[in-house]
Amino acid sequence: MAKSVLVIGGGPAGLSAARALGKLGVPTVLVEKENKLGGRPVLESYHTLIPRKMTPSQVLGPYIEDVQSNGNVRIMLGTEIEACEGEAGDFKVSLSNGEKLEVSAIVVATGFQHFDSRRKGELGYGIYPDVITNLQLEQMFSKEGRLYRPSNGELPKRVAFVFCVGSRDRQLGVTNVHCCRYGCALSGLQASEIREKYPEVDVFCYYMDVRTYGTWEYPFYWAPQEEYGVRYVRGRIAEITFNPADGRLRVKHEDTIVQRPAEIPMDLVVLVLGMEPSPGTKKVAKILGLKQDPDSRFIVPSDESGSNIRSNKEGIFIAGACKGPIDIESSMAEGEAAAMEVLNFLGAKVTV
Amino acid sequence: MPIHERSLIESERVLRKERLVIDGIDVSGDWNLIILPRTVEDYDLDFAKEIMESPDGKTIQQCYQCSYCTASCPVHNYWDDRYNPRHFIYLARLGMVDELQKRVDVMWRCVSCHKCTHRCPKGVLVEDVLKVILRAMYKRGLIGDYPSKKFDQFFTESVLEYGRIEDGELLFGWMEKQGYKIKKDPILRKPIPFFSDIPKWLKDMVSKPIKEGNIGFLMLNAKHMLFHPRTKEWNKFKQVLRKVMEEEGALAKGG
Repeated sequence: MAKSVLVIGGGPAGLSAARALGKLGVPTVLVEKENKLGGRPVLESYHTLIPRKMTPSQVLGPYIEDVQSNGNVRIMLGTEIEACEGEAGDFKVSLSNGEKLEVSAIVVATGFQHFDSRRKGELGYGIYPDVITNLQLEQMFSKEGRLYRPSNGELPKRVAFVFCVGSRDRQLGVTNVHCCRYGCALSGLQASEIREKYPEVDVFCYYMDVRTYGTWEYPFYWAPQEEYGVRYVRGRIAEITFNPADGRLRVKHEDTIVQRPAEIPMDLVVLVLGMEPSPGTKKVAKILGLKQDPDSRFIVPSDESGSNIRSNKEGIFIAGACKGPIDIESSMAEGEAAAMEVLNFLGAKVTV
Repeated sequence: MPIHERSLIESERVLRKERLVIDGIDVSGDWNLIILPRTVEDYDLDFAKEIMESPDGKTIQQCYQCSYCTASCPVHNYWDDRYNPRHFIYLARLGMVDELQKRVDVMWRCVSCHKCTHRCPKGVLVEDVLKVILRAMYKRGLIGDYPSKKFDQFFTESVLEYGRIEDGELLFGWMEKQGYKIKKDPILRKPIPFFSDIPKWLKDMVSKPIKEGNIGFLMLNAKHMLFHPRTKEWNKFKQVLRKVMEEEGALAKGG
């Protein structure tokens, strides 16, 4: 039986799985498609992470350092898996660089991708420069440190957040009917950040319902309203138009509480993007023969096991956003849980 | 053809002609019905800000529209369901002033039972917030004085004149001011309840002491009707009181 373990994906889940395995003395290979570790938060320069309001380098930095400095972990950047043969305890994996690995177990942590909001043409993304995504807003904060309208570089007087873009939407087919899980909370945080830095900017959140579950309720729903004066308006934005007369956008919706149609002027509109399985997740699921949700194509756990970390294939474990929308800290916890499942599978005796 | 959601459309926005001829062609029929748009084109954020920034109105920001207040509100439940504190909060926070204005006839009806404030799970001081909304509307001339304030003025006038009120005069005088037709005898000009066009509850109230033969009560009332009760040496006091009230701005000069 091969001794080493393969972790696919160097994001929060993959990092924490590789880190835990390395620390416990298991030879681990960490394969990452991109040329940098850290996954979406690092690659796409997130500004502040929910729920603990820390930066990606604060949260993931120590994990990356641990993985890089651990002699048991071999990191392979810019590498993907191409094929896999064999069975549990003795997988033979071919990599894109031509190398072949023999591993006993695999942790799949291939993650998600952001919804491409150009698919919702009625929202004007890609047509009007002042319609941006919440990812772009994060990058505006993290890279430029200021809020502005892309059309003229000025501070917007009003900002609207449009919830559930690419989520809970049957119009996109069966693939995007799920909830993104992070959007309500992140919008609450971003809206608060705007109001804190620019109290003169009015911020509106257009929602159908607000899903800041568990302990997120206060910091990401109550505080934005009570401490920062963010306004929540009930109604899903159906169309975004541009009025050349005043150079402002119009968000078209029905205010379902007032039961009236509305077209409200806005200077900057932020689309809150849904999550989809990444191309890597779909590819890896196909190569490894993992069971996927027939609609969303996220990887699903085994029906037989109570653990949601075990896949339908023995010796293959799944963690993080490849299984569906998830927040970063849960993703990291799942990575660690996957490491424990791997140890259990290997029958390793851990001595303290 | 019926209009869907007819309740949402004010009559003045429905344009419909019995007979409509355009360019010599008769286009009469249901389809010539036009409903003027009711799209909200903007929020009045200055109005909203005034409420959010006032000391007793700032808890408006805490509302998450659960409607615990409205479900508890006796005015909403037993008087008129157009009185809806939860809705007023939503409208005020977005500055939808035209929507608030549609409800000015019911907005003063809070009976100050404080159930809303005591029960609100978010700690909104609902009653205070509603008072702030009313104040902001009053300041902009969007809502008139509340009805009981008019009664207070009527009451005060009577007290200022005599030092005391006379029940019949106050009651029937107020009803007359509200538009009810009060029949009066030709000589003394006193009200005759049974020939007046007044609500049943008032007729019942007047006839009760007669039916029960409450002679003492009836005699006292008759005396008061003929000789208006008056506080001793009221005239002197009245002059001082008027002067003070005028100086304090509580009474219009010469009023």
